[in-house]
Amino acid sequence: MSKQTILTNGRVYDPMNGIDGEIKDICISDGKIVERVDGSAKKIDLKGRLVMAGGVDMHSHIVGSKVGVGRAMCPEDHRKDPVPKTKHTRSGVGYTMPSSYVIGYRYSSMGYTTVIEPALPALKGLGSWEELEDLPNLDSGLLPLFCNSMITFNYVKEGDPSGLAAYIAWILQKVGGLGVKVVNPGGTYAWAHGVDLRDPDGEIPGWDISPREVTRGLCQAVESLGLPHMMHFHPNNLGRVGNIETTIAQLDSIRDIKGHGGREHIAHLTHMSFETLGSVEGAGTDWGDLASGGLEFAKYFNKNKHFTADMGQITFGPATTMTGDGPFEFYLWQLTGGKWANIAVDVELAGGAGIVPYTYSPKAAGNSVQWAIPLEFALNVDDVWRCIMSTDHPNAGPFTKYPLVMSWLMSKKQRDTWMEGMHKFAHERSTLPTIEREWSLYEIAISTRAAPAKILGLEATKGHLGVGADADVSVYDVDTTKVDFAKDPDRIIKTFSTSYLTFHHGQQMAKKGKVNASVNGKVWSVHPELNESLWTRINKELEVMMNDWYSHSFYNYPVPERYRAPLEQKIPVDSTSVPA
Amino acid sequence: MTEDSGMKENIVCPFCGCLCDDIALSVVGNQITDNKNGCSISQAKFLNHHDDRLAMDSSVEELVKKAAEIIVKSKRLLVYGLSSTENDAHREAYKIAEEVGGVVDNTSSVCHGPTILGTQESGESIAALAETRHRADLVIYWGSNPQFAHPRHMSRYVRADGLFIKDGKKDRKIWVVDVRKTISAGVADKFVKINPGSDLEIISALRAIARGKILDVEEVGGLSINELTELVEAMKNAKYGVLFFGLGLTQSKGRHRNIDAAIRLIQDLNYDSKWSMMPMRGHYNVAGANKTSTWQTGYPYAVDYARGYPRYQPGEYTAVDMLVRGEPDAVLNIAADPAAHFPRAAVKHLAGIPVINLDPKQNMTSLLAKVNIQTAISGIECDGAAVRMDGLPLYLKKVVDPPEGVLPDRDVLRMIYDEVRRLKK
Repeated sequence: MSKQTILTNGRVYDPMNGIDGEIKDICISDGKIVERVDGSAKKIDLKGRLVMAGGVDMHSHIVGSKVGVGRAMCPEDHRKDPVPKTKHTRSGVGYTMPSSYVIGYRYSSMGYTTVIEPALPALKGLGSWEELEDLPNLDSGLLPLFCNSMITFNYVKEGDPSGLAAYIAWILQKVGGLGVKVVNPGGTYAWAHGVDLRDPDGEIPGWDISPREVTRGLCQAVESLGLPHMMHFHPNNLGRVGNIETTIAQLDSIRDIKGHGGREHIAHLTHMSFETLGSVEGAGTDWGDLASGGLEFAKYFNKNKHFTADMGQITFGPATTMTGDGPFEFYLWQLTGGKWANIAVDVELAGGAGIVPYTYSPKAAGNSVQWAIPLEFALNVDDVWRCIMSTDHPNAGPFTKYPLVMSWLMSKKQRDTWMEGMHKFAHERSTLPTIEREWSLYEIAISTRAAPAKILGLEATKGHLGVGADADVSVYDVDTTKVDFAKDPDRIIKTFSTSYLTFHHGQQMAKKGKVNASVNGKVWSVHPELNESLWTRINKELEVMMNDWYSHSFYNYPVPERYRAPLEQKIPVDSTSVPA
Repeated sequence: MTEDSGMKENIVCPFCGCLCDDIALSVVGNQITDNKNGCSISQAKFLNHHDDRLAMDSSVEELVKKAAEIIVKSKRLLVYGLSSTENDAHREAYKIAEEVGGVVDNTSSVCHGPTILGTQESGESIAALAETRHRADLVIYWGSNPQFAHPRHMSRYVRADGLFIKDGKKDRKIWVVDVRKTISAGVADKFVKINPGSDLEIISALRAIARGKILDVEEVGGLSINELTELVEAMKNAKYGVLFFGLGLTQSKGRHRNIDAAIRLIQDLNYDSKWSMMPMRGHYNVAGANKTSTWQTGYPYAVDYARGYPRYQPGEYTAVDMLVRGEPDAVLNIAADPAAHFPRAAVKHLAGIPVINLDPKQNMTSLLAKVNIQTAISGIECDGAAVRMDGLPLYLKKVVDPPEGVLPDRDVLRMIYDEVRRLKK
């Protein structure tokens, strides 16, 4: 017997299907959105409440080694936020680094159903798969890092794009990854040599190649394989005053790369807030010289359409910064003087990922400008389909602050209120106070549902409510014809903090913010199929390199099926055209 | 059934935190007849896996029932051990503790617990083993005797040649810092003998000197200021240094303060050079126990579920402290031997309360346990995942079948959980 539900009288915002606030019924059968259901279907009258597809978060650090180290070294982070078990859910802790179950539950209660972990050291893949089994109520995917790996450098140096593409295909298959992550290419590795390499044209020690060449090589490899998600890119020189210049230079350096099958976007620039720091005209690159680069970057973004971006919105209050960009965290630690962890990872992330707890203050000059950057950007872009709301959880703030970010995007009144008590630099060094634009609900639905699904290459089943989509539905307790969100920002926060109903694969996960299910979702992995001779070649070459360079065997590298099979949703990709 | 007889290669050794994964085993029938590459401890572990097995006085099903009855009757259950079993068993154990509002603690509370406390003060620059082999030109073992406890640590990761250290014997210097000349000190390039209990002073002095401070004393902990200054200069001049440290540092006077100081020293050295550090984890999956506990509860050990959510308090919810206070009224012990390793006062309480003991083999704890359930040995008789001392997860393979009717820890724990749930209804 099939399980059917019909949600009637919802006010639907579904940009992928061009639906902007129409009253519609949503039919669900066996976890999918369908045309119609029969009379026996369970009927829920939504009475005009707001309906969107389940939220899609394409960049949130939810599992893996650095999240684990961060949690373990910060018990003070969790103590304030205990989460008791219930009849349906496991216990845990929350705050900036919630425990695994609580991550799933909190996303569920906010109406999110898909969340991607954007930084996996591939050799530690097994640990992340284990952890995902304890992270319920979400579909997920992992983005392995390829940017500081000696194997990548080897193929770039040898001028062997097929080898590089095949290495990527091998890792994605053997470890189970959804796409390619690039973080401070070459820079983290250089730091293992004690070299602070932030210039995209500098030399990666010992390899006679530059970060620019690595970035281009990886970007080209992704396109030649035809992976659904383009290169997910965290450039060099993150978090430094004036880095908008190097960021634009790096984006320029990949502009000519042809997208697979003629696709327009070949890179996703992640957490742009940390990469588009401007400086006051004529000044230097000290923190005192910081100015927002948000507007300038929006202008570049509007002119250059080869990439998409997410915001990495600073939310104020406690956060925990964690990134594969180890040298940046070392730099940040010198500013904070508090705790600092660095995690060296054999061969793939030689210099190491880093973790530094950080509290953003609206009274701090730098933080206030950093806050203004992504807002200034998002409110000046001409295509929201390329602009994704994120906080780079938990780097710029926890994902639980998304409703607050929405309120800043949707309400000038809210921005003005927040800017009242803020450091004067936010006013003086950004154009934010003069910006009138307010995002519509339709734009919110694009930026938090439709666009991220599309950018990830998951638009067939995610980010929309059309027939054939997964029945991931979030209902919010508001009649949008009766409220003016822009004038009532508190209502925005209240509405989006807890959904009225959240469905995931047709099953109800939460009602009025109360989570009443704890079930495993799916984990996507792409499986690029190579031609036989290339597959044979890469297996031979990797066996030699891995056995020489790693401290464990090539044969123990893959994540065994037993950990993947219960969760894995394989996406086959035909990459046989990559020449051997 | 496992595969046919023959050679099994790239097997992970489930003994110490090195998790050497180059073990080659000859298997004839259901017998392991030879272990190539393994150290002497690994030899014993694989070849003698069927010796000294824990005796069960009735069927597993009956014992599970008894165990569940004890747990349901208990008001303050302590779940302890976990470091010598695979990750899935941990996850089942947490479920039981959560279900009945008990405490769960792993053996790190009596080994590298202070290390974790140190990282909670200051963070940590964590090393990786391949990194060490390729890059480290200076390696220090402090309060650790790897030749004895981690027999292949030096040969596999430290003395071996690396990419940038072409000759691991000549191009890399090994120092041993200890209170006596251990066998590891005997094979090191330099042995630094310090006074017992002076680690904190010495590390603090090194850090002060590294920061350019002038110390108004002639010696610290048995080392002259000149000697200390020489050590600091050599550490600063190293291209890439790694500090491995053992229980000599975590469990001697100063405990977590020692580690905190060492972390700060290593962090500071990164201004001049590259330095990182790594605890010499003993049990093969104690690092895994910290990891699984952390992702499920937020905390690496010493977790109390009494209020329905995890709380963390080393010193309060740590096993020894709980037992010495006479707090638990039942203990579920998994893959550890508290009766052999805990202080007398703790064992005294342990002997007076019902203990459920899951282990492949007889041990001291099995002698005082009320319920003994023999389980399969992870990495030999059942599969699973474990975490190496540097955080690398590795898959443990099943090599031979367990004795008839013997199940993995995870299956027994799942059965206990189900029975507890049934009884509670």
